[in-house]
Amino acid sequence: MFAAAACGSSDGDDGSGTEVAATTGGIAPLDSATKVTIKFLSYNYGTPGLGGTGTQALIDAFEKAHPNITVEPQGVATKDVLTRLRTDTAAGSPPDVAQVGWSKMAEAVQALPIVPVQEIPPAAEWDEHVAGISKSILSAVSVDGQVKAMPYTMSIPVLYYNADLFRAAGLDPAKPPATLEEVKAAGLAIKGTGSEGVYYGVVDSAKSDFLTQSVVNGNGGSLVDANGEVTLDKPAAVGALAGIQDLVKSGAMPAVNTETALAAFTSGKLGMLVTSTAVLASAMKAADGKFELGTASFPTFGSKPARPTYSGAGLAVLAKDDAHKRAAWEFIKFVTSDAGFEIITSKIGYLPLRESVATKLADSAIVKLLAPSLEQLDTVAPYTAFRGEKANQAVVALQDEAVEPIVLRGADPGPTLTSVAEKIRKLSA
Amino acid sequence: MSTLEAGASTLDARGHANRRVPAAAVRARLTPWAYQAPVLISLLVFVYGPLVFTAVLSLLDWDLVSPDKTFVGVDNYRRLVEEPEFPHALARTGLYVLALLPFATIVPMALAIMLWKRPGRASDNYRSLLFLPVVLAPVATALSWRFVLNPLGGVLNQVFGAVGLPEQDWLGDPDTALWAISLITSSRFVALNILLYGAALAALDRRAFDAARIDGATEWEITRHLVVPQLAGTTVLLSFLCVVFAGQWTFTNIAVLTQGGPDASTDNVYYRLYTYAFTFFDAGTGAAAAVLIVLILTALFGLSTLLRRRRVVG
Repeated sequence: MFAAAACGSSDGDDGSGTEVAATTGGIAPLDSATKVTIKFLSYNYGTPGLGGTGTQALIDAFEKAHPNITVEPQGVATKDVLTRLRTDTAAGSPPDVAQVGWSKMAEAVQALPIVPVQEIPPAAEWDEHVAGISKSILSAVSVDGQVKAMPYTMSIPVLYYNADLFRAAGLDPAKPPATLEEVKAAGLAIKGTGSEGVYYGVVDSAKSDFLTQSVVNGNGGSLVDANGEVTLDKPAAVGALAGIQDLVKSGAMPAVNTETALAAFTSGKLGMLVTSTAVLASAMKAADGKFELGTASFPTFGSKPARPTYSGAGLAVLAKDDAHKRAAWEFIKFVTSDAGFEIITSKIGYLPLRESVATKLADSAIVKLLAPSLEQLDTVAPYTAFRGEKANQAVVALQDEAVEPIVLRGADPGPTLTSVAEKIRKLSA
Repeated sequence: MSTLEAGASTLDARGHANRRVPAAAVRARLTPWAYQAPVLISLLVFVYGPLVFTAVLSLLDWDLVSPDKTFVGVDNYRRLVEEPEFPHALARTGLYVLALLPFATIVPMALAIMLWKRPGRASDNYRSLLFLPVVLAPVATALSWRFVLNPLGGVLNQVFGAVGLPEQDWLGDPDTALWAISLITSSRFVALNILLYGAALAALDRRAFDAARIDGATEWEITRHLVVPQLAGTTVLLSFLCVVFAGQWTFTNIAVLTQGGPDASTDNVYYRLYTYAFTFFDAGTGAAAAVLIVLILTALFGLSTLLRRRRVVG
């Protein structure tokens, strides 16, 4: 079931699941009399949705289990995580633990004084803790076989749909669209009833390219190849974004940003939304009593297999002294345990990274809605990062100068992607 | 005997009473400096020190974190001039200034004159209401505007739809986004400048206007020929402040609502500087942009001073 592919951003891993090397030594557990306060930087913390309440629930449960460790949470916007980490590090006061999105992790590992998480506990303790987590997921942020950051939240794109709007448009909610062509037809049918049809959340103010990658992968393309060379101007990638652009040109998709589309979907004005499973719990809450929510697998390009990539984040440790490193590890250990993933999945909607949790929650409403994503995990493609220390700048350039103008404003996909690819090649040099 | 020794012996010959005079003189000279010291030290530490540090940083290649800082000379400045982003942002900043200038001068002047002509409790309450945008949290205000301008069912589009006007994605369309940001920012200029115009109006002698009324002048003639000309100094000052603050006050709205987009249509030099430094972690280029902004503003200030002097001489 859990075959999420490796990131490969740091080590060029091919997704086959590198064996994680064990380290010896490590820092011994804290004495119960030792009081430690750790700073936890999180882009979920403090948000008005269920990401915020779920993160608070994790912190509360951890502090109850570890009365000698206090967690001081710090909220930050997703797109500002690297900025905050760099400035805090420059000021000499980085957080002890930080939630870093996959799209920013490659640059974070290269540029920041991150303590490899695998180095902190003794080898036996590490091995025992990670026993229930897939090796390929663990390898998501590994360099030379050593795990640098702990996989924490993971989600893949899914098709959410409003079953009531389907019925109003004469569509069968039991047979949601499976291909881009079917999505377009369904979107136009819904649009004909006065509501908005479909939205692919590729234009994201968080400047994450995970959905862009998923779309491009689905058409047989890629943003970078196995050698790290930029390939986003190749025909398959151009065709993928042209396909999404066609949704807008046809009227099936509104030319708005993801935040606007999400608000429209949760208020029952949008028929379909393709975005991360991370908003599932919020969507369920919004739909409760208002409309029937359904989910379907990430749509394919015709008969080509879907190859969605994952979004989400890892937990990176930047603590300076042993006591804080160990306290940071205790926190990470808790939130990535069965108890932690139970909260993460049931309260926020991220995928449970432990099969035991998926099995335990199998009958819950949220895991039933996650079923299409869990079934698609076998086809998940690795998240790929651009090379070099300017990887984040490259992602911003891709999203702002190519994806947004192509999808929302009808820019010619070919020349636009060629121009941006050249820019990214210079940044990656 | 050397000159120095001669001087010393002359001093000795003057005696103790004569030596008190220089001490008192020194104290008299130092006393004003002692009073000014807190301000001067603050300026050195918080303004001129960072300014010098920024100028030095603009000659380096540094990512904010690494201990390695490479001296690159004027490469950062060359990049700013050669690449299209900064000149484009500079042009957009000029558009912000032009868009906000009426809201910094004509609109608050008109409102201030109206309030000044109708003194009383109602006028005071209305002035307080108008001042509200200055004290509201800028980020919260920007977020409120996001709901108002939402293209799918936002308040403004609902109003437009109700009266049969076409609905717009105000912040998502490159043709309207800059003007939308300008309008959102304008309330702060109007609110603050009403107060400043009010202060200028309070200093005017009302007897001259009473005399004009007795001579048969209408309210419009009094306003146009007597009141407005006397506010010219304030208007020049507020215009210059608009040039300085237009870019800075639009920054929050840009950061919250558009992040410089769509198609960089709402970018300005301050947001570009922020992007270089805190999104791309290119501290050198960010510092070079900051130095250029200071130089441009200094040049504009110098030019306006020169023009005012020429007018006075003329």
